[in-house]
Amino acid sequence: MIATAVFLARSMRKPLLVEGDAGVGKTELAKVLARMLDTELIRLQCYEGLDVHTALYEWNYQRQLLRLRIQEQPGEEPARLEELIFGRDYLLERPLLRAITRAEAPPVLLVDEVDRADDGFEAFLLEVLSDFQVTIPELGTIRAQHIPYVVLTSNRTREIGDALRRRCLYLYIEHPTLEKEVRIIHARVPEAGPRLADQVGKFVQALRARPLAKPPGVAETLDWTRALVTLHREALDAETVEQTLGCVLKDRNDQTELAQAALTTLVAAAQATE
Amino acid sequence: MSALVAHLARFAGSLRVAGVRVSLSDEIDAAQALSIVDVTDIDEVRRALLVALKIQARDRAAFEQVFASAWLGRTAAPRHGRQTVRQRSTAVPRGLQWRGAEAAADETPGDRTEGGTPGYSPRAQLRHRPFDALSPAEIVAMEQLLERLTLRLAAEESRRYVPTRSRGLIDLRHTLRRTLATGGEPLALARRARAAELPRLVLLCDTSGSMESHTRFLLCFAIALRRVVRRLEVFAFNTTLTRLTPWLAPGKINLTLKRLAEGVPDWSGGTRIGTCLGDFVARYQTACVNSRTTVVILSDGLDRGDVEEMVRAMRAIHARARRVIWLNPLLGDPRYEPSARGMQAALPYIDRLASAHNLESLERLVTYLAA
Repeated sequence: MIATAVFLARSMRKPLLVEGDAGVGKTELAKVLARMLDTELIRLQCYEGLDVHTALYEWNYQRQLLRLRIQEQPGEEPARLEELIFGRDYLLERPLLRAITRAEAPPVLLVDEVDRADDGFEAFLLEVLSDFQVTIPELGTIRAQHIPYVVLTSNRTREIGDALRRRCLYLYIEHPTLEKEVRIIHARVPEAGPRLADQVGKFVQALRARPLAKPPGVAETLDWTRALVTLHREALDAETVEQTLGCVLKDRNDQTELAQAALTTLVAAAQATE
Repeated sequence: MSALVAHLARFAGSLRVAGVRVSLSDEIDAAQALSIVDVTDIDEVRRALLVALKIQARDRAAFEQVFASAWLGRTAAPRHGRQTVRQRSTAVPRGLQWRGAEAAADETPGDRTEGGTPGYSPRAQLRHRPFDALSPAEIVAMEQLLERLTLRLAAEESRRYVPTRSRGLIDLRHTLRRTLATGGEPLALARRARAAELPRLVLLCDTSGSMESHTRFLLCFAIALRRVVRRLEVFAFNTTLTRLTPWLAPGKINLTLKRLAEGVPDWSGGTRIGTCLGDFVARYQTACVNSRTTVVILSDGLDRGDVEEMVRAMRAIHARARRVIWLNPLLGDPRYEPSARGMQAALPYIDRLASAHNLESLERLVTYLAA
């Protein structure tokens, strides 16, 4: 599924909107894509109140003011001065502009957690993503040298507007299957033995089947495996799980609920060989 | 190729019938995607369509079903959900019949005050009258009142910055811009401050039999709110949960009520509050509720469902929302104690339990929301 989506996004030259639960690897997808294409990853982390000046460009006002003070002496052409301080040297490139102006090869532009930015920013993003050109009044229009590969991620804390959604291809990442998760553990934490990886995988899968407020993602699985490796554990046991539960379950109610009821049975189930 | 496109168009049509939103541009994307992938691999086709048609997680089941019948030749089993809803009778339930406008034409509340006591205002009286004892004309008057009331919903601080004349951070961009007027000397500092933002609301409305006399009015309240609160989500629940937001057309009460009557399953039936709230948490909470959202539950709390389920859902909502308000029409009755099992279980997770049996109580709610 993921491979198809990335393949289509690359061949159709469209941004890819990735949604899914926290910790399933949405951001990782962009990072891996950049590594695969051997290009730069430019990341724009969205947050509420993110505006054009933080996302696209801003003038370096402090520097401009200094320059003006230095050139205070008479004799300097005002027009030349203006040209100077509104030149590229005084421009602070923010992620979006950098993604467009990168000269070497198309970069991967990761617009992370786009659901956190507000509607107004979304509309602006739409404009940039459709034309890949921006206009800076003092400089003129800047066109993209190479159209970047764009990955947008969303945690669905807000519905993404239809217009933006239509402009992208869409990928919903689900939690991995047991087999895939064990393979991920092996790939990312090679120090973990096959027995530990298998048991951790089974345990986490069983956890996700329960009604939890915050089901663990792959990120949690990996953290936990690393913690267990650090503790020199080669297999799960109830005591260790209880001590390290904070790596997987990051909600107090989830923890207490699990500790009371099902911890030992879940551990036993994970220990059982198929 | 053109046969494939025609098939794709038919497929998109079936998706729309099944309630999945697919636009023409999605179809174009899908056609392009199919020209790239290996169409002899049916699984690859399925994946490509999922990506290109932007099928969201909630529409996945419907997609799989339509896909199975359209591309694999399997006949689809009868589906629950939106399709069954369509087949329902279109008779408007008693609680939702709306004759307000016509009734108001021949009997306006203003007429009746003529010759009355000086200083007497029909509005003042309206505010204390319980909803279930209202005439249609009074409801029209009350609606106008409600509208003005909701306008009072005050604003709160946003994280965005806007220019301000009073105190705030120095805005260098605008300060510099202004120096143009003063020959390059920054004489007046421009400032910016946090923008004001209207609160976000989620309304969960109980439409079961025991709430029947209140439902219509509370829905009117929701429609009035919709005009001022841009980010309002409305849900109805009885034995199942239904999202009403797309159906609430501001200013078209008749149309809205008709749509609601057709679309909400099991009007005036039983209640399973716990299950419905749990459903809300599972399906909509992340999208609709954040730390700035106020969740308002309109229900009498009379429930025969699982209390444990209710507690879990209420805890989850309480943990995420800014405040949780429970409006209980029964509270208007002085003899009432919130002793129903469900109500008892929910109490620890409610920031405010208030009555909602007349306009005065709604007015108090608006003041509280604005605070």
